Amino acid sequence: MVHAIKAIFYFGPLIFAAGFIWPLATQTIEASGWVPPFDISPLWAGALFASILGIPAQIKGRWI
Amino acid sequence: MTTEQVAKMSEAELLRAEREIAARHLNRFPILAVIWAFTNLAVWLALWPLVFSGVVPLWLGFIIATLNLALSYLPSHEAQHDIIGKPGSKWRWLNQLVGHTSTIPLVLPYRVAKLTHMEHHKHANDPMLDPDHSSSASGSLQAIWKSIANRQPRAKGGLNAYGGALARIGRPDVVLDGVLYNLVFYGVLFGLAWSGHAFEAALLWWLPRHIALTYIQYYLSWAPHHPAKETGRYKDTRGFRAILGNIGSMGMQYHVVHHLYPRIPLYRTPRAYWEMKPILEARGVRIDDL
Repeated sequence: MVHAIKAIFYFGPLIFAAGFIWPLATQTIEASGWVPPFDISPLWAGALFASILGIPAQIKGRWI
Repeated sequence: MTTEQVAKMSEAELLRAEREIAARHLNRFPILAVIWAFTNLAVWLALWPLVFSGVVPLWLGFIIATLNLALSYLPSHEAQHDIIGKPGSKWRWLNQLVGHTSTIPLVLPYRVAKLTHMEHHKHANDPMLDPDHSSSASGSLQAIWKSIANRQPRAKGGLNAYGGALARIGRPDVVLDGVLYNLVFYGVLFGLAWSGHAFEAALLWWLPRHIALTYIQYYLSWAPHHPAKETGRYKDTRGFRAILGNIGSMGMQYHVVHHLYPRIPLYRTPRAYWEMKPILEARGVRIDDL
């Protein structure tokens, strides 16, 4: 149990990116009316944005 | 009491006079803090259905939620010091109810807040033992930056320092409160976001919480203890004049009185300060333009 909780918190930035930034970015793109290039859907553009923020945050241990 | 009268007093007379002033402000029931606690929480909870149903626009909800979150700590702080009801008293249940409920929006469990805050009082400004020492910074902007930096995932300071403090005092079990609060908080955020309500989650809880924590840590932790170099009863806290005034700084201009007599309610600290000021000056308390 303790190990599972520690793992959740260790991967916090990735989990936060997937759980919150991804849908937030997707809904921001949809609300703005912006059409992502290369036929990418807002959902996958949101995923890309969340990855760009989340992966470095996971590696560095900080968002900013 | 004048500065001239105080100058002629012995050590024992100074202490007696200080305690006599404090006694006039102790054991007062802080009804305003109790009303504040429940009203603030009720308004924040009411925002959710009001915003979701379109009665309140999201931008207005964001402003109100930010105020709610910023105002959510101090009633709990009164409870942490048993000001609303001492153990065994008839108002104890109310003390605990205020303590436990008022900081729910901040995702700060009462037991974590209380135990670490008592450590802060015992060891104010001690770099190793004061759980809030990580808020120290050389200036205002640095303090704001420090608060944000301390909230990063693998930062060692801020709320992240509380686990170590709890382990040090033999209460690692209380860390579980923080874990549960965080799991529920992020679970709610993620659930709202993936069900199409990411803006509401961001602007009614996530962002207001970050703004409020920065504001609270600035005025309750950094400003009254700056420069946080000295320890000791009359050295670890200062009086200061805040740009936002006493209400805008949430009463922290007079925080030195709180550290001397933690059970004086917040609303009585200004009066106690002005009565005590000549004594505080004689004691060498740092009073910046106040």
